[in-house]
Amino acid sequence: MNAVGRVSGGICGVALVWCLVGFCDRDVERMPQVVKGEGALAVAFGDARETISQVFVHKADSYFHGGIDMECDHLAGHVHADHDDDHEDCHDGHYHDEAEHGSFDPWRWINSHVRAPDVHRHLGGSETIELMPWFWASVKADPHNIEAWTTTWYIANNMMKDRALALRVVAEGLEKNPDDPELLLCRGRTIYDNGRGEFAAAREAFLAAVEAASRMLQRGGSAEERIVQVRKFAQAYLDEMAKREARQ
Amino acid sequence: MKLFARQTIALVKLSFIELWRRNDVFALVLLGLALMVPLSMATPFGAEGASRYLDEMALLLVWGFSLFIALGAGQRLFPPEFESRTIYPLLAKPISRGRLLIGKYIGAVAASWSALAFFYVIFVASVLLRGGTFAAELPQAIVLHFAFVALAVAVSLLGSLIVTASANLSLSALVLVGMFFFGRRLPEYAEGLNPALAWVVKAVYAIAPHSEFFDMRQRLVHGWGAVDGVVFFVVLAYAVVYVSILLSLASFVLGRKRL
Repeated sequence: MNAVGRVSGGICGVALVWCLVGFCDRDVERMPQVVKGEGALAVAFGDARETISQVFVHKADSYFHGGIDMECDHLAGHVHADHDDDHEDCHDGHYHDEAEHGSFDPWRWINSHVRAPDVHRHLGGSETIELMPWFWASVKADPHNIEAWTTTWYIANNMMKDRALALRVVAEGLEKNPDDPELLLCRGRTIYDNGRGEFAAAREAFLAAVEAASRMLQRGGSAEERIVQVRKFAQAYLDEMAKREARQ
Repeated sequence: MKLFARQTIALVKLSFIELWRRNDVFALVLLGLALMVPLSMATPFGAEGASRYLDEMALLLVWGFSLFIALGAGQRLFPPEFESRTIYPLLAKPISRGRLLIGKYIGAVAASWSALAFFYVIFVASVLLRGGTFAAELPQAIVLHFAFVALAVAVSLLGSLIVTASANLSLSALVLVGMFFFGRRLPEYAEGLNPALAWVVKAVYAIAPHSEFFDMRQRLVHGWGAVDGVVFFVVLAYAVVYVSILLSLASFVLGRKRL
């Protein structure tokens, strides 16, 4: 590069930096200055965290189905000896597809045999611990993904029967989402333990859930129907507890 | 025949020395350890006992690293020889272009296989250290993975004779990784497209290398059991046929190349 080239390059570089500084200076004012959530992940990924969180939930779902992606495209044409009725439609659709096209696809045939198990098996009991890392990753990616928190709680409480783990999950969830009615309801259910647990602490959690739901409904929002159900559910537990106490 | 064997062995030795001298494999192993050790120490929500996610991550790294090694090995077979003009003494041995191609390919595949075997030794050791056991489907998974590596080296080798190094590595990685993750879904994607684009997608589905055929990671991680013997040999036959076609094309390109 000769001297003229170097000078031109330098001028262009300075002009570019000036433009960038000017652009940033102007647009910084328009940009939102508050990032939802906390920590480096929130700053780096912004709203993409919600999508990443859902990807991890999807992965956990595939683990629950023994490694099968329940979009089930690759299972076409493959026989499942022990299959749930819930997913029959999906697979039936593929069988019809194959029949309608009337042509043999060797690539699909290979995929359906290599990438699908002979038997569709769900994880159960203590095996469901395998789901925990994915849900953990999901709530780390988006701590406000309440569905991920409640699903994790469900697995710990109902499938693994590990009440201590379930309470830890809810406690962590409530730390990130204080006064969330769904998580409060989950905590109440674990403490209540189908009538075998601590009534006073359970009542406290259910009451908190009802109050939090009512506050949320007053504010309004997109998940209104869900919150109504949560409030009903928590209230039903409170009624049941009152009946039990009256009987005693 | 004896001469061919001696020439091939010499080329294989050369590829081995080049791969292991470059320290790529050790750098990748260190990177893998840096990722896997913290992961293995994680206790999500204080619960211990989950191991499948570790197996899955480790296998994903093994696949990624093996692809990296294979593409690099394929790319480095001829362009450096052209640039440094060492291709002339090689061809003056005398050795035909076709024989040189086959010898170099076998060398690159053998070197890549040695790296892959090293990765699998580490993977199996990590499984055993965590108290796991050998999966019955592991030998099949390793054989199919070896076949994939042979295919990746052939793809990269052909590309290295047609386009520049960076373009070859990018395109080869794009095709192989794209097919690995989305190959099986291409017919579904084609259904929602306009006829012309759908035809293109279907053509890609028909002729692109189906790297996903060789992926038995889910079988290993979730214990699905071994693949049916017939299917296993069909996949191997697919690899052999595909590699043969790619090498024939590479031989054709190399034969017509002005040196």
